[in-house]
Amino acid sequence: MRKNLNLGSFASQKNLHTKRKSVAGLVLLSLALTATATTYISNWSWDLPDFFPDPSIPAGNPMTSAKVELGRHLFYEQQLSGNGTQSCASCHDQSRAFTDAKKVSIGSTGESHSRNAQGLANAVYHPTLTWANPALVTLEKQMEVPLFGTDPVEMGVNDSNKTEILKRLESQSLYQTLFAQAYPAVEAPIKWEYIVQAIAAFERTLISGNSRYDQHLAGKAELSASQVRGMDLFFGEKAECFHCHGSFNFNDQTIHAKSRLVDTPFHNTGLYNIGGTGQFPEPNRGVFELTHKDEDMGVFRAPSLRNVEVTGPYMHDGSISTLQEVLDFYAAGGRVISEGPHAGDGRFNANKNDFINKIDLNEQERKDIVEFLKTLTDEEFLKNPKYSNPFIKISVSKIDQ
Amino acid sequence: MSIQETSKKLVRWSLAASSFTLAACSSMNPQPQAPIEQRMEISFVAAAGDKIVRCDQPITGLGTTWATAALRDLRFYVSDVALINDQGKSIPMKLEINSWQTNELALIDLADASGACASVSPEINNRIVGTLPPGDYQGIRFTVGVPHALNHSDYASAKPPLDVQAMSWAWQAGRKFMQVEINPEGGVARVASKAAPGRSFLFHLGATGCKGNPVSGETVQCERPNRLQLSLDRFDPKHQQITLDLVRLYAGVNILRDQGGALGCMSAASDPECGPIFKALGVDLVTGATAPQAESNSNNAVFRATPK
Repeated sequence: MRKNLNLGSFASQKNLHTKRKSVAGLVLLSLALTATATTYISNWSWDLPDFFPDPSIPAGNPMTSAKVELGRHLFYEQQLSGNGTQSCASCHDQSRAFTDAKKVSIGSTGESHSRNAQGLANAVYHPTLTWANPALVTLEKQMEVPLFGTDPVEMGVNDSNKTEILKRLESQSLYQTLFAQAYPAVEAPIKWEYIVQAIAAFERTLISGNSRYDQHLAGKAELSASQVRGMDLFFGEKAECFHCHGSFNFNDQTIHAKSRLVDTPFHNTGLYNIGGTGQFPEPNRGVFELTHKDEDMGVFRAPSLRNVEVTGPYMHDGSISTLQEVLDFYAAGGRVISEGPHAGDGRFNANKNDFINKIDLNEQERKDIVEFLKTLTDEEFLKNPKYSNPFIKISVSKIDQ
Repeated sequence: MSIQETSKKLVRWSLAASSFTLAACSSMNPQPQAPIEQRMEISFVAAAGDKIVRCDQPITGLGTTWATAALRDLRFYVSDVALINDQGKSIPMKLEINSWQTNELALIDLADASGACASVSPEINNRIVGTLPPGDYQGIRFTVGVPHALNHSDYASAKPPLDVQAMSWAWQAGRKFMQVEINPEGGVARVASKAAPGRSFLFHLGATGCKGNPVSGETVQCERPNRLQLSLDRFDPKHQQITLDLVRLYAGVNILRDQGGALGCMSAASDPECGPIFKALGVDLVTGATAPQAESNSNNAVFRATPK
């Protein structure tokens, strides 16, 4: 039930590239030197399940397979961090749906992030990026945070090393080739703006829509009795999960090519209520950190639940370890913290979303919902060679030596 | 070292205003004669009271406890520069384009890489250079901040000085308008969180509460602009400079004990340290607008005209 199959390996993309060139040549002949834009004729077609809408792509960063391949290399490139110790993949591991299994991530210089690394599956459909930031609406803009941010330092790119990092890439013939293929019309393309573009283009290809649940929808797989019971609870009025996790991407913020109106809701789930004041711990107070408005205290974006089995620990600060505990938390209608600096009864947080209330879910029902959530794991996505580390063969041969 | 003494050292930067003719356009311009423009420089300096602030010398008398601190970084963007002529009219200054200026704004950078500023770039820029029509100028207006249309552009592809990474403020999808960072002696205690003391008291001024439009991919609005619009109605660019006084900036705040929010003030309306700092600057912490008294006061507490 696939619309198209196009994404190829690097080798086959070389052929595609050659083909593309000849197509561009024909266009040039027939249109008599129209513009350099012909070099950007997109050879891209999406590999999407039938019920996924076509993604919205910024006009300034059209998709091409050469750019995606460059972006894939850069995503896994440790030399892109100031001290050469981290790549994007350090905190976004494919086998964990591009999360890192830590409560909060650690940057290249050892600083702890205040947030849990988010998965990148279907990031192309997110209208806002990160846990709670209405200001970040493109992957290109979002990327400036991990690349250049100082609070905390993540990749650690700064004014004193940003030119040196470009030189590290320039010194490798691999990147000379990849950049030239991705940006044939640009004279000296090894620049930060093209690095950001290429990584964003790669991230947009990270489509996950072939889980057991998706196969079930397509009539290709059956769910167990427990999974079906869990699904009915998930989409039912009793457990209410679907209000915030009901889209094709199992969240409630989506954008695609035909979106006219895009809602960007954020929610307080009663995770904290410090001293009964409604406060969340700093600097994790959600959208409040940007707006400083009371109604934004503790509100975060509902994450997509695709591949949620492998993306723990959970919540913006990684403060819940297992899916079972997440279910207990929602069934209780919030979290009670009895001692310590964050003590307070989250169930009574005045800013809490109305759908989160005590739910009468017995042990078996909670188990069933967890079993259903596990059907959202997309094994093909977690192992897809198109998304994998292109340098892994090199390191294997190093070990051999 | 006094302001006057240091100013002599800065003379090499602040050549007296000179005139030149814009000749290149004359053949293409239908008007008979191109106007003769005056070249003008506006100089900036940082001080603590009457002492020049430098990266390699302790600054004394800061905050409510008269604390001593070392400067770590000091930079700010200046836009909408206009001089006020003898008829009280604001005449926009045409900024030269160079690595510190676009035609819309300039970056003032008063931190070299000495002393506690070791981690910042050694280059400094203490002046704005541009041209104005001939006239008798008696005052100046300018904005500390980056105009909205430029504030949310991508750092990676922006023209200098909007490409300076240290002024990026990625989480608000914009830029810091002003970055003043000091290391108080003994560090900064975190009272609210009872956490280990921090090393620096950070002040970052910038637009907050920004929202993007996911459909267009642009940052469309910020709830609090936090741009400081200043008007000094007595200012002689030949003989005076604009002083940023750190004693007055920190006058109402205890830089040794952070009461909550970010360490220092990062423009959060809820941050206890932001109240006194914004008040000193003349920016309304709740609305993000410049307070009327700051706009019209020729003796703003923090930015003021002093002799060169």
